[in-house]
Amino acid sequence: MSASSSQALEYLELLPAQTHRKLYEQPSTALAVFRCMLPHLAKTIVMAMLYMPGPFSASDLDAWFRHDGKRDKDKAISVLEQLHVITARLEAPRHYSYKLTEGFGRSLRQALTGSGTHRSFGVPAQSTEERVSTDFLDDYAQKQWENMLFYMVGSTVGLAATNALGQDVGEGTKTLLRVGDFVKVTHGRVTITRTGFTFVLQEANAQVWSLLIVYLNYAPKLGMSETDVLSFLFMLGSLELGQEYSISTLSQTQVQMLEDLSAFGIVYRSSKTSSTFYPTRLATTLTSDSGALSFSTSNAKSDSEDLTSSGTGATRGSASKGYIIIETNYRLYAYTSSLLQIAVLSLFTNLTTRFPNLVSGKLTKQSITRAVKLGISSSQILSYLTSNAHPQMQKNTPVLPPTVMDQIRLWEYEGERVEPTNGYLMKEFSNDHEYKDLVAYAESLGVLIWKNDGKRMLFVDRLEQISLYMSKKKSRSE
Amino acid sequence: MNAIDGTDRQIKADDRPPPSLLAIVLDTNPHAWAHLSSVLPLSAAISNLLVFINAHLASGNANEIAVIASHTHKAEWLYPTPKDNLPRRRPNGAANGDIEINGLPKEPSVPENPNKYRQFAVLENAILSNFSKLLDSTTERDLASTPTTQVGGALSLALSYVAKSTLLHSPVDSLAGDNPLSALADSETVHTARVSLTSRILIVSVSGDLANQYIPVMNSIFAAQRKRIPIDILKLAGDTVLLQQASDATGGVYMKPERPEGLLQYLMMAFLPDSTARRSLIMPSTSGVDFRAACFCHRKVVDIGFVCSVCLSIFCTPDLPSNLCLTCGSYLSLRSAQIATPALIPRKKKKKKRAGGTDSATPGGNTPAGSGTPMHA
Repeated sequence: MSASSSQALEYLELLPAQTHRKLYEQPSTALAVFRCMLPHLAKTIVMAMLYMPGPFSASDLDAWFRHDGKRDKDKAISVLEQLHVITARLEAPRHYSYKLTEGFGRSLRQALTGSGTHRSFGVPAQSTEERVSTDFLDDYAQKQWENMLFYMVGSTVGLAATNALGQDVGEGTKTLLRVGDFVKVTHGRVTITRTGFTFVLQEANAQVWSLLIVYLNYAPKLGMSETDVLSFLFMLGSLELGQEYSISTLSQTQVQMLEDLSAFGIVYRSSKTSSTFYPTRLATTLTSDSGALSFSTSNAKSDSEDLTSSGTGATRGSASKGYIIIETNYRLYAYTSSLLQIAVLSLFTNLTTRFPNLVSGKLTKQSITRAVKLGISSSQILSYLTSNAHPQMQKNTPVLPPTVMDQIRLWEYEGERVEPTNGYLMKEFSNDHEYKDLVAYAESLGVLIWKNDGKRMLFVDRLEQISLYMSKKKSRSE
Repeated sequence: MNAIDGTDRQIKADDRPPPSLLAIVLDTNPHAWAHLSSVLPLSAAISNLLVFINAHLASGNANEIAVIASHTHKAEWLYPTPKDNLPRRRPNGAANGDIEINGLPKEPSVPENPNKYRQFAVLENAILSNFSKLLDSTTERDLASTPTTQVGGALSLALSYVAKSTLLHSPVDSLAGDNPLSALADSETVHTARVSLTSRILIVSVSGDLANQYIPVMNSIFAAQRKRIPIDILKLAGDTVLLQQASDATGGVYMKPERPEGLLQYLMMAFLPDSTARRSLIMPSTSGVDFRAACFCHRKVVDIGFVCSVCLSIFCTPDLPSNLCLTCGSYLSLRSAQIATPALIPRKKKKKKRAGGTDSATPGGNTPAGSGTPMHA
């Protein structure tokens, strides 16, 4: 599970059961949720149960797992329960069994076998006019997306006026960026926020998801149904690049969405009234991992087009082609001519020289602390540098020089001594056993932040699973 | 200050499992399937297998699949469809033709079906059309010639495909793209640390006796063992020593379902988990593995045999033509005295060792000094 889908997973987990049930009616959604939202072991469990005639008893499930895999199993089961993919039932006292939610099971089976008449994987249009090439789609998606990013970064860095890039961002997009707290507009001047930085430094796929989640939260205000929006997004993820699709089976909401999505560069329409649309690469990689892997390898989808699309220096191309070299003396060389990348780099680098295909500069204490003050964390910087490291750098392990990594962290820690975490303090346990049990469970879920055995207190950052566990335990002991 | 400890330099906590490549060797031996048709017809088995393949592809976004049919007289690719074998020169000599096999066949005839995920549809189409092509091209003469299947050839095809994909996947390879030979050359040293593709091979076997392919299969097993590629065996019918050894040596799953008609559930439960998931699961394996080898001269499974002292080939009889080893051609001669009880020499040794401490009066009158190396001459 990648970072990008984990955001979407967090969002999905908080949805109520009814929404889940409605979502899972579409096989494409069920498949997409399965493919990119579930942890690896959860997939294994679901697949084992998919064609099982009866329920899967909890003791059998335990027997299937190795002892040291129990922690991962608990995690997988808890995610599955939260997404309402499986339901636990009390068969007999102290005897649980799990069952796939009917809708999910049916939809996933349909998706795997390709049966049914749900038409949820997009209706290809019989194209009348000339087809649009994938190169064009890539260019289009890249242009739209970079425009938007540059709109956010450009003005902060002070490069805004130098280029036409970032000018033609639609009003809707601007509103969305404001609503999502990615940018602040004060006196007509756009300043990027902390969340905005996190957003810009992410890889492209994660960016798309963060933006879409903002969109999802915003959708009810536009009178759109969340379920419709979500299932459309999942459907987009399962479409084929370069294929034209008809809008005839889409609902009113989804047609409305198309307009917004084409502003982001996620889909392309030849005109606003066109009865067809093309998904771009931003859309087709929605439900797959982005990054070097899905670009350079696997299926032919991204085989030949990829080389042509990455161009000189672009956000999408950069995922597979790194361009940054850092030396142990903190000097940084970036082989790029893209304004966006230069703008991003200049957020935390002291850039000094620019050549036609190269910019060079130095990471200094000043430049890093300036970035930290703007709200960028050292780990964000490091992960950006790592993921965009030049192929020659990627040969090293670790990719970045250790001195540089440590120093960037040290510079940040100079300013920060206290780190706040929102969460819940649990105390006043009746006995030691109960306390220990809960600590172990919280630890296995990965929500435990702090504990004190002497005072029998623990601090967790998420409560839903813990409370569910406690109530379940209570009912079991009664 | 612990947070900036240098030991924690790997910021990118990549907990995502690596993509996994599943190479399926499907035994399409018509003799065996005909025998099995009342329980599990081949068509049903293939449709189950297709669902399983889809499930595998859905389990990881970058997961890959390769399907090879091991037929009676040849091993044939079902997926990916091989490009026509004509040696086609690319305009720029630098590009390697190897990548081509990785590509999906651009078949224009894939029906557009809005009810089906396109990737699945393309794959299914390719497998089915290749398979029917294979069946159509099979003549009666091919069938009559041999009752078994070319599992050895299919296994080596699978291994070579796995090796190639692994190279294509390793991060270093992307930059060595224009010189694949250099990547191949130092593959042992450089790539092993960075291999980002986990592979496994699944053999769906229905044929019984495979002893005639002992040597190629055994070599494949050793190659797989060395490359740490588990070989999973799903034995729907028949029984063979060889495949048990394959799964045992490579740490794969071995299963012989009692009810072959439930093929899909067996596949989903036992064979779908990839090596990442297997770390936390208890996987089925064989309890008693028959380690007997097949002889090189008649392909018979032997309990006791003769081993060439130079190349370790196994023979069931000492009567070799002009006393030359069939494999390496070394001159082997067994004196008549030794031929009589060749296997008794090691057995005697063992007994003596055990008994040596307590009982010195060994029957047979051999001196203890002579037990190590027989020095009759």
